[in-house]
Formats: sequence, structure tokens, C-alpha cells
Amino acid sequence: MSAASSQSTSLSLEHATVAYGERPVLDGLDFAVPHGRFTAVIGPNGCGKSTMLKTLARTLRPRAGAALLDGRPLGEWRSKAVARRIALLPQDPVVPEGITVRALVARGRHPYHSPWRQRLPGDDEAVDAALAATGVAELAAQSVEGLSGGQRQRVWIAMVLAQDTEFVLLDEPTSFLDVAHQIDVLHLCQDMRAQGRSVLAVLHDLNQASRYADHLVVMHAGSIVATGSPAEVLTRDLVADVFDLDAEIAADPQSGTPMVVPLRRG
Amino acid sequence: MRARTLPLALLLTSAILAGGLATLAWGELGVRLPDLAEAVRGEAGTKTVFVLERLRGPRLLVGIGAGLAFGLAGALFQTVTRNPLGSPDVIGLGAGAGAGVALATLFAPGLVPAPVGAVLGAGVAIGLVHLSTGLGFASPARVIITGIGVSAMATAATQYVVAVALRDSSTQLAGYLVGTLNSRSLGQAVLIGVILLVLAPLLALLAHDLRMMDLGDQLADALGARAVRTRTWAILLSVLLAAAGVAVAGPIAFVALSAPHIARRMVGSPGPHLVLSALVGALIMVLADFAVQHVGPVQDLPVGVITAGFGGVYLGYLLITAWKKADA
Repeated sequence: MSAASSQSTSLSLEHATVAYGERPVLDGLDFAVPHGRFTAVIGPNGCGKSTMLKTLARTLRPRAGAALLDGRPLGEWRSKAVARRIALLPQDPVVPEGITVRALVARGRHPYHSPWRQRLPGDDEAVDAALAATGVAELAAQSVEGLSGGQRQRVWIAMVLAQDTEFVLLDEPTSFLDVAHQIDVLHLCQDMRAQGRSVLAVLHDLNQASRYADHLVVMHAGSIVATGSPAEVLTRDLVADVFDLDAEIAADPQSGTPMVVPLRRG
Repeated sequence: MRARTLPLALLLTSAILAGGLATLAWGELGVRLPDLAEAVRGEAGTKTVFVLERLRGPRLLVGIGAGLAFGLAGALFQTVTRNPLGSPDVIGLGAGAGAGVALATLFAPGLVPAPVGAVLGAGVAIGLVHLSTGLGFASPARVIITGIGVSAMATAATQYVVAVALRDSSTQLAGYLVGTLNSRSLGQAVLIGVILLVLAPLLALLAHDLRMMDLGDQLADALGARAVRTRTWAILLSVLLAAAGVAVAGPIAFVALSAPHIARRMVGSPGPHLVLSALVGALIMVLADFAVQHVGPVQDLPVGVITAGFGGVYLGYLLITAWKKADA
């Protein structure tokens, strides 16, 4: 799979204001997706994490400012061209009735097709590679509806991989999964980064974000309040300010990365 | 076309042909295969020509054309609203057409032909839905809820006209309100044929992005399928096709609703299945028309009564299986 990541490419927000109705959720936000890294976006509920992700994926349009791909507003790109560069896995995607694993993963090839060319020579290889990379090759002929939550999430990630984009945006990919499958998904995110893709995922678990991502973006009330490596970002003060949580920051016994340990009530 | 689509399409086409030939051949006035061959060579007797060109030929062709149009309309509509019970009828197309005919007969008797009244009424109903949602056809839930409201108003208008104002001509109107293939003309067959031919290339273009719509708007967008735009075009084409069907055959019920389901079940994989839905729609019409022409107990009923009966049973079956699935 090719995921070119030359430094000339970029996906960014420039003074982006995004609002639902009258209430601005993002207010003049500046942000560039870090290149070739696995970035976790963290922050309390309602801070604008998902909104930022959706704006970068062109699902939402900024009311003021812009979302830019290679410096050009996303709205000026052809939809298919954007879809060949940016993949998005929504929080709760819809499984089409009766679809097989392979057919769902093959949907990832849509951006490369047109009404005149509905199959391309590389399609089967891309789908096979995506199935293998996510460990669901042996499920290929099964119906997606019959799979467990963890298997299903692997299949969705396989679809995103088949899309073969340099930017991969994941909206809370670990929610609703039991802990072993959460770790699975985080490993897959690391694998995608190892292939040269820029991965941006909204995560809830601070310790998982700290341990598996190589870059953190902390959001609070529609703004980015801190960015950097987990060691730089996750401090006692930040956790207190942003999450309203008194916690000790310890070293993760496995990875040495910062681990947030809430203080006991007392 | 996917692997299973082609054999199924051939099977359905053969069934439509067989049903059509049987409809032509049955009974006293029957035009059988040798007569057809003579007619093609221009050597047929006047009786055969009369039956083919005036009696059974046009209604068969109109039935097939309207069936194709209704099948396509339903497949488009259900795909982009992700609602298995969706069809242009749900958003008031049939009811609007009926009200259009009734009001035209009431206010401009003899001036506005029934098909024109039907298309106008359907257009007004769909226009109302488009305006009242506040978002055009972008939100499936709003389209359906508004459509139910508009549909109810249109039905009320029709009932008012039929009950109060048109007691005398209501029998004649009844055929138009449920849809009929009685006394069709070759002109109507040509009309529906031309509309299908004109819209076919647009449908072929739209089908590409339409296939992604069952993933939800966010993913469809993320894959470059432009969900809102695709939905708006699909509903527009669905309404045009259904309106064309209504113009030539009246608001025939449930063909648009049930044809896509039957097609989907035959294939067993997700997708809009436009071609198969169209063929199933045509087959339903041919079979229903055969019944009203040749099957004793239902003879001479408007064909819409048969499709409504058939569709009602199917709808019930659909709801029961859906509930069972939900409970399981």
C-alpha cells in the first residue's frame, strides 16, 4: 500500500468557526494535522473534539475561516479527490443490511471509481491487504451483522485502509468496545502510522491516549489548550484545569509514558 | 452488474414476456403467437389489429412501462431515505395526484384532462413537502413526516370532492383514484417509454454514488458520494418516474413500495438494485393486469385494487418479520 507522506501535503484548519445553530462549537480554531504521526485528540465531553474531526473530514463546513487540504479549501476540491486523501470513520457507522465483510471493505475503493470505471485492477489487492492487515481475512465471506463489536470495528478499519489515504480520521474508535478490543484498535492505529499515514483519533481514555499515541491535542471549550508529546502535555495542572480532576501523574509501568491516576476521595 | 443480477434480470424479463403473451392470448379475443407473427408482417386480420392496437396492446405496454417506473421510483426512494417503507406514495405523490384529478374535475370539468390534473397535484404535493421540511430533501426523517402530513391533507381534499361535490361522476373518478389500465392508448405507452428512455442515462450515472448511501451520510460523504446531493437527485428522479407512472396509469398503490423489497430478497445483497426493482415492478403490473382481464372474481376491477391488495398483504408480512427480528 502506498501512503505518500511528503511534507508538501497538509490538512489544517485556519481560524475555523463551526457552529450548530447559534452556538459556536469551535471558535476561530487553528490546527494542522501532524504529519506521519498518531495523534490523539482528548478533552472533556462537548469540548468540540468530534466537531473538529468532522470539519477536517468535510462533514461540517466552517461558518468562518477554512478547512484546508494542501492549503486549498476542502470545499473547492472534488469530493472523490478529497476521499482519496482523507478517510473518516464515524463514531457509529451504519452497517448495510446483509453485507459481507469483503463487500463492506471493498466500499473503501469507491473514491477511485466512477460511473464509467466501477472496477480497477488494484482493487482486489487493496481489499486483500486491508483484510490481512486487520486480521479479518478469514471472516471475508461472513455477514458483518453477525460479528462481535470488536470484529466489526476491525472490519471498519479495514474499509478505511482499503481507501488508502494519507490522512485517517477516527471518531472515538474505541468507544463501545471491551478493553482488549480497545487495545487492538490502538495497535491498528499504530500500524497505520507505521505505514506512513497521519492518524488523528478522538479518544476518551487519557492513559490509552498517552501510551499509544505519539502526539496529543488537548481541547477545552472549543479551543486547543495544549499540544505535544504525552510527556510534555499531561501534567497535574492540565488535568485539573481541563478535566476538573485531581490526579497524580505517574509513569506507566510498561511504557514509561505519563499515567493519570485520580486521587482518592478524602 | 453483479454476478447474480444478470441471470435474475433474464429470468424476470422472461416472466414479463410470458405474462404479457398470456394476457394477449387469453380468452375469446385472444391474440396468439401465430396471430402476432402475422401482425408483425402486416398481414393480420382487422380483429387482431383492433385487439392489439386498441384493446390489449396499449394497456400491456402502459402496464409494463408504469411498472418499470414505479419499481425504479421505489428503489431510489428507499435507498436514499434508508426507510424500507419509503416510496413516493409515502410523501404524498399518489394522494396528491388523486387530489389533483378530483379538484381538476370539480373546478375545470372538461378543461383539464385527468392525467394533467394528476401530475399537477403530484407536483404540488411534492413541492409542499420540499418547502415544509426547511431542508429540502436533505433529511429523510423530515421528508417522510412532512409527506405523511401532506398526504393526509391531499386525501382529505379528494374525499371532500368525491363525497360532496362529485356524487354523479365519482364512479368514473374512482378508476383514476386507485389507478387503472382500462382504455389506454398507444400514445400513453409511447409517453411512458420516452420518459423511461430519457431518464435511464441519469439513473445509470446516479447509481454509482447511490450504492454508498446505505452506509449513512457521514461515510457516504467520506467516500466521495456526496450524500445530500445524491439524495436530492434520487428523490427528484423518483418523483418524476412515479409521476410519469401516475400520468399514464393513475396512482397505482404499493408497486413502488414492494418491488424493491422483492428484488432485494431475490439478490440477497445490499444495494439499490435499480434494474431488478424495475423488472419486478413491471412483472407485478403484468400479473395484476392479467388478473383483472381474465380471472373471474376480480375481473374488470381497476388494476390498482389488485396491487393494493397484494401490496397490503406484503406490507403486513414485512412489518411482522421486521418486528420479529427486532424482538429476537
